Amino acid sequence: MTSSKPPTSSPLPRRTVLATGAAGAAAASVLGTGVRAADAEQVSQSGQSGAAERGKANHPVFQHGVASGDPLPRRVVIWTRVTPAPDATPGSGKGKPVTVTWQVAKDATFKKVVSKGRFRTSAGRDHTVKLDAKGLTPGKEYFYRFIALGQKSPVGRLRTAPRKRAALDNLRFGVVSCANLEAGFFTSYRGLAAREDLHAILHLGDYLYEYPTGGYGMGPDNVVVRPHDPPTEMVSLEDYRRRHANYKTDPDLQALHARYSWILTWDDHEVTNDQWKAGAENHDESEGDYKKRRARAHRAYDEWMPVRMDGTAALGDGTRLYRRLRFGNLAEVSMLDLRTYRDEQVSTLAPTPVPALEAEVSDPSRSITGKKQMAWLKESLTRGDHAPQWKVIGNPVMIAPVTFGDLPNDLIDPVNDVAGILPADGLPYNVDQWDGYTADRREVLGHIRDHQVKDVLFITGDIHSGWACELPLDTSTQPAYGDSYGVEFVCSSVTSNNLKDITGAPQVTPLVESVILANNRHIKYLDFDNHGYSVLDITPERAQMDWFVIGARDDANTPIEWTTSYETLAGTGRVTSVDAPLEA
Amino acid sequence: MCQDAPLTGTPERAARRLAEIQASRRTVLTAAASGLAFSSALGAAAPASAASPKTRKRCYVLVTDGCRPDEIEPTLTPNLHALREGGMYWPRATSMPVMETIPNHVMMMTGVRPDRSGVPANSFYDRELGEIRDMDQPSDIRVKTVIERLNKRGFTTGTVLSKEYLVGIFGERATHRWEPELYIPVSEHAPDLMTYNALTSMVDEFDPHLVFVNLGDIDRVGHTDLTGTNLRLLRQAALLDTDNLVGQFIDGLKSSGAWEHSMVIVLADHSMDWSIPTNVITLQGAMDEDPLLGGNVVIADNGGADLVYWTGPKSKLDKAVKRIQEIAEATPGVLKAWDRRTPWLRLGPESGDVVVFCQAGWRFSDPDPLTSNPIPGNHGHPATRSIPFFIGGGHPAVKAGKVFSAHARTVDVAPTVAKFFGMRTPAKRYDGKPRI
Repeated sequence: MTSSKPPTSSPLPRRTVLATGAAGAAAASVLGTGVRAADAEQVSQSGQSGAAERGKANHPVFQHGVASGDPLPRRVVIWTRVTPAPDATPGSGKGKPVTVTWQVAKDATFKKVVSKGRFRTSAGRDHTVKLDAKGLTPGKEYFYRFIALGQKSPVGRLRTAPRKRAALDNLRFGVVSCANLEAGFFTSYRGLAAREDLHAILHLGDYLYEYPTGGYGMGPDNVVVRPHDPPTEMVSLEDYRRRHANYKTDPDLQALHARYSWILTWDDHEVTNDQWKAGAENHDESEGDYKKRRARAHRAYDEWMPVRMDGTAALGDGTRLYRRLRFGNLAEVSMLDLRTYRDEQVSTLAPTPVPALEAEVSDPSRSITGKKQMAWLKESLTRGDHAPQWKVIGNPVMIAPVTFGDLPNDLIDPVNDVAGILPADGLPYNVDQWDGYTADRREVLGHIRDHQVKDVLFITGDIHSGWACELPLDTSTQPAYGDSYGVEFVCSSVTSNNLKDITGAPQVTPLVESVILANNRHIKYLDFDNHGYSVLDITPERAQMDWFVIGARDDANTPIEWTTSYETLAGTGRVTSVDAPLEA
Repeated sequence: MCQDAPLTGTPERAARRLAEIQASRRTVLTAAASGLAFSSALGAAAPASAASPKTRKRCYVLVTDGCRPDEIEPTLTPNLHALREGGMYWPRATSMPVMETIPNHVMMMTGVRPDRSGVPANSFYDRELGEIRDMDQPSDIRVKTVIERLNKRGFTTGTVLSKEYLVGIFGERATHRWEPELYIPVSEHAPDLMTYNALTSMVDEFDPHLVFVNLGDIDRVGHTDLTGTNLRLLRQAALLDTDNLVGQFIDGLKSSGAWEHSMVIVLADHSMDWSIPTNVITLQGAMDEDPLLGGNVVIADNGGADLVYWTGPKSKLDKAVKRIQEIAEATPGVLKAWDRRTPWLRLGPESGDVVVFCQAGWRFSDPDPLTSNPIPGNHGHPATRSIPFFIGGGHPAVKAGKVFSAHARTVDVAPTVAKFFGMRTPAKRYDGKPRI
């Protein structure tokens, strides 16, 4: 999303120099003709290795925790990073190759190991370990760990997806987005890690931020609650690796990764602010070729995140992140990538009323999904008679239309900063979300209408605020006819600035919220001022989202409170409030 | 013409039909205590006590024709809503192509898709006759229905169908049948009050093990309100009335004690979509003007779906299919033109060579854009596939308050009924699945 850009007077890093050594070789490939296949691969599932290290390390080997993700019925991605020597820091390119043993067991003591193997890693992949642990049973929870250089990793827990046609009573996800380390502590991750009732975590993007230290901190003065590494903006492969590594030392983030399998997509900040297919707001020529920068960001993401790109856990075989994950007959999660294939955000203002057919935002030649992903998304919505009931769309930016009447002029800038909703003259659209690509939105909602698809649920992040919306094709007639072709629940940010953080005046937020709600009858809930997380519970009867808010972002022990809940009953496309949160 | 082609019921036609029934050697006409007349199979016009085999199980399949699933809610349809909440509910249930009345009623009772039943649409081009006609002949169904399977095992069955073409296609299959003597002009169906009286009268008089009921008011109001402006009010009035009748029927079952042994399946055959006057698609003209297709194409209009038949030489079929698809998909309002042989459609040769669906908010009017289909409410296209589908009842087979993610379909009714009555069913007999 749009966020406060670092002051232009600040010296931006110009890291286009390659790292040296083994990592340098890999990086050169990334920067050159394309991303090459990983030079470290899984040795085998059964555990044969040509060169297992026998030495023992005297320093912590597993400094970045463990993680799992993309659960399928019989396999789940597991991840860690080893530090083979004290100087083999992330992004350094230093350190010998290491063979790592991995185990998945039914029990926490690993007496009942059901899957194991060895994995060879090296500086070429920043000593990350990522593989598909196979041979698991659907719908089961397992424990996993890694062993290398005489040390054992922390124990992680994962849960496989149920079998394809399983009839489930419920499915429960933690929902998060927009975690800026310099803006505060990851209390939301702590809160979710403490729960015992989740099946997985949905992360809608902005897992990390690219800015230099102080460029985007807490509040209007960009206070640095805790500095990240590197101190400069991430541009080079080393930068991206170091920033990922830095985030993965956060204890709350480590705890949540270890506790649950994650399902992630990226938004813009995993590369840089307001990125589109051939550029970004926070990228200029002095930072080199944009697509090469993006390739480096994607490479580091693939190394450091427990996701399958192009359907595999292997590195260098593709960067397609949009994918589907099925949970029995109950739900299928389709994670979107709304950055890599989108056309540039429009810079022209739309005429009133908005959206107008002649407006650039409505130009059917412009796309937020790209043609191929649009076809894939439509297929996700109408996949034949045996598709699951709930079509959950992991949606990095809001799809619900947001229009305005008269918002006071002095509130336009702060609202713009937090949500990018209003251009300077108050015209009602956000060109960075689906409101800036209305032809694509119309195609998706029209497809839903034409095929009478029910139970489409967009789960969204990006705009640092909580929303519950119905999805009309025509906002002007919706209050009268009540047409709604799905529901959108938007989680707030883990730490990234919201409206009151920017205005410094929480008393004005209710006014803004009331104006938006009054002019958008399909929006049933809006909270511009809180940070936190959500819990989404899906049953055959309904989907309910709980919103939890945290106290002070700069207090690692700040309390967490439930604030509200909304649900949509199956088949209705309507949103209604719920009196109490889910039973944990 | 519209998918539910207006019936042309007249007193003369009703009299003719009665005469046919009376003349049938397999049918006797029975006057029930209510004064209504029922046709019954010879030897079956006996009271329920003589029914065999001796089971107290009863199943009622109530089709709320054309009802949208979102119309079942506490205020508008409290009885249907209560029945749904207290029973088993499938929120993602759908009609099957072509989303029309006759094929989906046939799917309910046969448990198989149209490529096996032979009934893909309401209106089709009969190549033998060389004309477009409704699928309203008993011989149009090529397979045994669950009605016949039950009869063969000694159960008794009943049909209470408000539309003449349903009466026609199910013919004399059921043990006891109500054939409306008159149909309302314009809407051309028997009103639900009449249908309800027939249902309760049939249950009182014969108490069949299975009764298959079509309630036509909701659908007919949706179709025939030409004004558009008060559509919602009329539709809602129909929903209220129908809901009230269903409530009375359920109350009757409960007060008689039959509820404890009963399973009530409530579903629709299709949903409903409304078009605006300008959103009309006519393909016939463009086909006629095409050098390849001109004079060699016949279209059977089914409201939200056009069935296009190539009548030229077989050697040019593939080329013609492609050309028909091109022309159709270039026409505003067309959603998709499918080669009928596309495997998932499973429509069979009776549905022609290309099946064209319209977008939501549109309708077909072929061959004439003005007169062939002037009504706003239509179905047949994918925008009308969602249906209510729930099972209530006091029989232990009905699990109270359960909601299911499974994709229930109209084709599931027959296997559900068969399982309820304990009939062994070979694995491949049905395309649908039992839902109890």
